[in-house]
Amino acid sequence: MSSDSLVKFTNVSFAYEDGMNILENINLEIEKGEFACIVGPNGGGKTTLLKLMLGLLKPTSGTVEVLGGRPVDRRAHIGYVPQFSRFDASFPVSVLDVVLMGCLQRRFFWGRYSPDQLAMAQQSLADVGLKDQALSGFAELSGGQKQRALIARALMSKPELLLLDEPTASVDVHGTEQFYRMFSEMNERFSIMMVSHDIGFVSTRVKSVICVRKNLQIHPVTELTGEALQKMYGLDVHMIRHDHRCTEKGHVCPHS
Amino acid sequence: MSAFLKDLVELPFLQNAVLAGILCSIASGIVGTYVVLRRITYIAAAISHCILGGLGAARYFAVVYELPWLRPIYGAIITALAAALTIGIISLKAKEREDTVISALWAVGMAVGVLFIFKTPGYNEDLMSYLFGNILMVSREDLLLIGILDIIVIILTLVFYNQTMAVCFDEEFARTRGMAVEFYYLLLLCLTAMTVVLTVSVVGIIMVIALLSLPVAIASRFFDRVWKIMAASIGLGVFFTLAGLVISYTPNLPSGAVTIVLAGLTYLATLFMSTMKKPISKNADLQ
Repeated sequence: MSSDSLVKFTNVSFAYEDGMNILENINLEIEKGEFACIVGPNGGGKTTLLKLMLGLLKPTSGTVEVLGGRPVDRRAHIGYVPQFSRFDASFPVSVLDVVLMGCLQRRFFWGRYSPDQLAMAQQSLADVGLKDQALSGFAELSGGQKQRALIARALMSKPELLLLDEPTASVDVHGTEQFYRMFSEMNERFSIMMVSHDIGFVSTRVKSVICVRKNLQIHPVTELTGEALQKMYGLDVHMIRHDHRCTEKGHVCPHS
Repeated sequence: MSAFLKDLVELPFLQNAVLAGILCSIASGIVGTYVVLRRITYIAAAISHCILGGLGAARYFAVVYELPWLRPIYGAIITALAAALTIGIISLKAKEREDTVISALWAVGMAVGVLFIFKTPGYNEDLMSYLFGNILMVSREDLLLIGILDIIVIILTLVFYNQTMAVCFDEEFARTRGMAVEFYYLLLLCLTAMTVVLTVSVVGIIMVIALLSLPVAIASRFFDRVWKIMAASIGLGVFFTLAGLVISYTPNLPSGAVTIVLAGLTYLATLFMSTMKKPISKNADLQ
């Protein structure tokens, strides 16, 4: 495989223990530098795809490679941003403490965080626009700010790939655009892949859209129009370029 | 109060009781915070009830086979750690049946304890003191063991503070960082087991869970950092156990029960007060 490969799925299938197939025979290759958005119907396997890339789940068959290796071996270089709504909203920690948790690795160290780690945490907070909230309680932040703090935590591992699970799920339209602008800036430094439930609105800043859908179950596509997208939904996974050139026929792939 | 202070100077068993109350509050303040944050109060309660099996068995063998060195608290430590590891491993392997297993261990541990106590020759007043605690029966040897367990709990908490905090806050993220999440979870359960053993000697098996969670519930209404909640919980624990001891002393009431009633009333008072002040932690509402 080429050294520019970011993520490579080869004949990947995944089923949970109850036997329900979530993903079937997925083939996908994404190059470094990508800013991709994974969309698809609920239960279509978007989050499963993310967890396979993180090594939290193992494929039932096929292989997943991330950054040129097995996900478990490469995860030190993968930044993961979960949805903030999964958390105990009142957990008594400061924003800085949450960000510093990003320093922790398999290798154990004890005692206080080092001055370097503290400086890096402040920098990460500045990167996500939370410089002044470092010493606030995590519980006091708004939803969007919590999400930013979790992004700052992921930045602590100096990721080559940032994986985000619905980062704009509880953010308003204005805030969403701000998030995409931030991701766009970060994308100059590392690759980004994010899951979004929002099929209707995928920012023009996103370079590629990946649609995931489990079996051959047909979903009405009301949010998207255009033959290309209809067709895309008939496949398991599809990647399209997103070059600001949407025609009446839907998305056009200029060089494929 | 003055009678208590006068006796405190003269009676060693009262000094033991005061020391036991303080030592036990340190461990329960620290570990109780984890138990509440990680939402494993039910597991802590199961471990504490299991201990009856160990207490009963150790005492039975000590009496029947004349093994004076075999103190009931040894049986308690072994049972508590075994219960913690069993629950931990089962909840890591098969999540969906976790609560059933916990309930089963809870009940079977108690049943085994009751059988051993029933078959132990002699006077069986101990059952009551195991269930409801008798801080006045803490011996010098018990105190030494409580001190050692206390030091173990404090050292392990200090060493693994950042890691355990990260695992309590976001287990999945910790896993993506390659951290040994299972190890930290089992460590937390073992810390809980040791703390429960300490606390049983003060308030007894049934009321352990109140002393673990009520100070934390109160403290988390006023503080929004984990270490502050731990420190405040230790302070509250010391206050409740010592106040319970003093108040119960002259009228000869069971001190464990007085301690818990005090803690419960204080918690209720903070609930009322919180209409004035916005509650900081939702955890406090869960107790």
